[in-house]
Amino acid sequence: MKERKDMSRKVKTNIIGIGSILLFLIVMGIYAFGEYRQENERNREYHFVLIPKTLDNLNGFWTSLIEGAKLGASEYNINLSVYGTYSEDDIKGQIEKLENAILEEPDGIIIAPTSTEEITPSLKKAKEKGIEIVLVDSTITEDIGVSLVSTDNYKAGVNIGQYAKRLLDEDSQIGMVGHIKGVSTAVEREAGMREGLGEFEEKIREVVFCDSTYEKAYSLTIEMMERYPEIDLIMGLNEYSAVGAARAIRDLGLAGQVNMVGFDSSIEEIQFLEQNIFDAIIIQKPVNMGYLAVEQGIKALQGKNVESYVDSGSVLINRGNMYLDENQRLLYPVSGQE
Amino acid sequence: MKRESLKKSIFRKFRSTQSTMMVSFSLLMVLAMLIFLFIALSHTKNVAFENSVEATSSITKQVNDNIDSYIESMENIAAVVANGSEVSAYLFSNEEAAEEEQLNKNRIVSQFETIKNSRDDISNIAAVGNNGKYIVNDGQDTLSDYVNIKNQRWYQTTLSSRSGQVISSSHVQNVIPSSYKWVITLSKALINNQTGKREGVFFVDLNYESISDLCNRNRIGSKGYVFILDELGNVVYHPKQQLMYGGLKTENIDQIMRSDASYIINESGDDSIIYTKSISAKTGWSVVGATYASDLLKNNTQTQLIYFLAMFLLLAGVLILSSFISREITKPIRELKDSMILVERGQFEQANVEVIANNELGSLTKSFNIMTERIQNLMEENVHEQKEKRKNELKALQAQINPHFLYNTLDSIIWMSEAKKNEEVVLMTSALARLFRQAISNDKEEVSIREEIEYVKNYLTIQKMRYKDKMDFEIQIDPRIEGIPIIKFAVQPLVENSIYHGLKVKDTKGNLQIIGGIEGGNAYIEIEDNGVGMEKETLEHIFDDQKKDYKRNGVGVNNVQRRLKLYYGEAYGISYESKVGIGTKARICVPIEREKRYE
Repeated sequence: MKERKDMSRKVKTNIIGIGSILLFLIVMGIYAFGEYRQENERNREYHFVLIPKTLDNLNGFWTSLIEGAKLGASEYNINLSVYGTYSEDDIKGQIEKLENAILEEPDGIIIAPTSTEEITPSLKKAKEKGIEIVLVDSTITEDIGVSLVSTDNYKAGVNIGQYAKRLLDEDSQIGMVGHIKGVSTAVEREAGMREGLGEFEEKIREVVFCDSTYEKAYSLTIEMMERYPEIDLIMGLNEYSAVGAARAIRDLGLAGQVNMVGFDSSIEEIQFLEQNIFDAIIIQKPVNMGYLAVEQGIKALQGKNVESYVDSGSVLINRGNMYLDENQRLLYPVSGQE
Repeated sequence: MKRESLKKSIFRKFRSTQSTMMVSFSLLMVLAMLIFLFIALSHTKNVAFENSVEATSSITKQVNDNIDSYIESMENIAAVVANGSEVSAYLFSNEEAAEEEQLNKNRIVSQFETIKNSRDDISNIAAVGNNGKYIVNDGQDTLSDYVNIKNQRWYQTTLSSRSGQVISSSHVQNVIPSSYKWVITLSKALINNQTGKREGVFFVDLNYESISDLCNRNRIGSKGYVFILDELGNVVYHPKQQLMYGGLKTENIDQIMRSDASYIINESGDDSIIYTKSISAKTGWSVVGATYASDLLKNNTQTQLIYFLAMFLLLAGVLILSSFISREITKPIRELKDSMILVERGQFEQANVEVIANNELGSLTKSFNIMTERIQNLMEENVHEQKEKRKNELKALQAQINPHFLYNTLDSIIWMSEAKKNEEVVLMTSALARLFRQAISNDKEEVSIREEIEYVKNYLTIQKMRYKDKMDFEIQIDPRIEGIPIIKFAVQPLVENSIYHGLKVKDTKGNLQIIGGIEGGNAYIEIEDNGVGMEKETLEHIFDDQKKDYKRNGVGVNNVQRRLKLYYGEAYGISYESKVGIGTKARICVPIEREKRYE
């Protein structure tokens, strides 16, 4: 009996000894495995889809935005696909691209909605599938996106509106060329400009919408000038409307008589600025916008703090400051050049 | 004292030497391996770090060399044009005829065209005079109306620099309106051959891509990159230039420009960046390689994993081996322990331990074996001595003659003499005389059965005469056993018992029968009476140590029994059968052969 008891006790201590060492090894193994998993998690490649308003590669704004998003993607190890149509007013086309993107089940979708409402159901569907949605440049009426990254359009509008006041006197008349009626950017910019203009707001004679085509902006401007020949300030609400209107003013031979301010930049728009057809332009920071949108998306996926609205900033450029280095860099993006 | 008890308590937890050894070996191994692992890991990390720095620095040197040779080829082109007489002649001579001037211009333009067509990395090529004359590209392009080329820094430094040759940082070329491209301008001062002074600039705009391609060709790790700074710390090229311009990304340019070390570690945010730079003597540019520490760490994690795995397997092996080895080492100890338990129980025969090793344990085992043997011998001697002592005691007892018996017999003789029964007197007296002679004369412990029976016969003769009406007896001994020795006075006490407890108390005359024979290889003598018999209870206590009854022979049944067993072993001795009213049978069993006797 005694011997057996001794034996069992011996076995017990052996088990305790081996057990404690095994336990130690197991703990170390788990630690190593955990490190490995964490490392894998860190190296995990996310998949994002970017749907800009247009893929038109003549449009400096959108090519820069895409470029910024790509830089962000490379920074955060993201596989970025870019889908889109070639026209900003192709709402149906964008919805179709969005639906296709949802089928790919990406981790995140960054979209610049062409419509404040029509695209909402599809975005809801994406959100239900657990896809993080970041809105860029423009917003929609419902609060679906985890974050909105855009220029503070209202603020930019106020800025250019206030600048424009120096070009005006009590006899002035103002014409506005917008891009797409009802789109958030157009609404906000117009509201900002009206605020910035202050008492000159009542001088606005007409607001026309060109559906983001140069041709329509051109013809609408010519028609508007026929209707209101007294107009001496034209405000363009985006690149298409500003450039289209500028072409019209140049072709009408009214350069110097009609002042112009506008949004966005392109080589042509910059040339108009150099040629004194534009007095000032507000440029956004599309590269920043694209980059920040990706950053917000990855933050949301990693459970970090996400801001519901990020202002990517805007700068007012006139002939006086356009040759400054920092403005040159914004006016002529390094990337996105042919 | 206290320290000793403390020391003990560490190992007290383990009940066996084997587990103590095993656990302590394993713990030591784990400790040793952890230390080794730590050293190995930190060394590997350092080596990986140094290798990476070395690789990055060779990449940056490579990029720098590529850029230098690229710039050199451009310089050669520039030199050919700038040093040619046509350019100087076209820009600075006013006397020439318009026709000749046009001709000269055409020659220069075609030269420009040839250069531009052969190199698609040149975006602009132009010669500009301070006097306002210029040729740009195909001769059709104009300089911008809004930007004065003479105010451009690169234009001014070209004229003022000692070498007359400048490579600009990357910038937007806005003196030529149609392009607005990011370029690097290589400019060379033009000397007016007539005055010998620098009065113009020839420049070639190199596509920004030509430089970025040189940098992008090299990848450092999965996230690392190469960028270029000019001598003032301005960014010439950076893969994420646009983010830097947008304020979204910064590099620690100040530190990079100031440092002379071969590498700089910049710990910003959650990842640190290692910069390695290489400065070109030709351009003055610094090519900087940026490596992410996390990239290094990725390989490091793999190494760690492999090390951990190897350690895990090694430890598992060590555990198994140490368990095996400690078992082997402690095997003799365990055998000794088992053997000691046997010795504790007095089983000396199996206690001998096989000597396996020649070490301390071997000699310990040997000593143990010798010791147990000696103990065994001592114990046997002791037993023997004790036995002898008992025998002597018993012998002393048996030698005594019961005085009551003598008295009674003598009384009977007197009584018979008075009754003039001469024959009976003679018979009894002679029987008594023989009895006494036998009892006294023989000094030996053993007598033959014949002699013992003779003694009993004499005793019975006397007793029969005393209890004439009470008993009769009969003796039948197998002649084969007559010579067999038996201890002295073995049978007589049994006979005496039969008479006193069986026959004497019986009302009628009893009969006593003594039969000797061989059964099962042993000799036996049976003493059977038809007396009153015994109760079962009495029978059970028959061998108990009774009080000596001096009225009868002093030697009791239990005494006889003990002597028999002492002499012949436990297998031999007296056995009783008895039934109340029928009689009692006592049976003595002794071995035939002397060799079988217990010593």
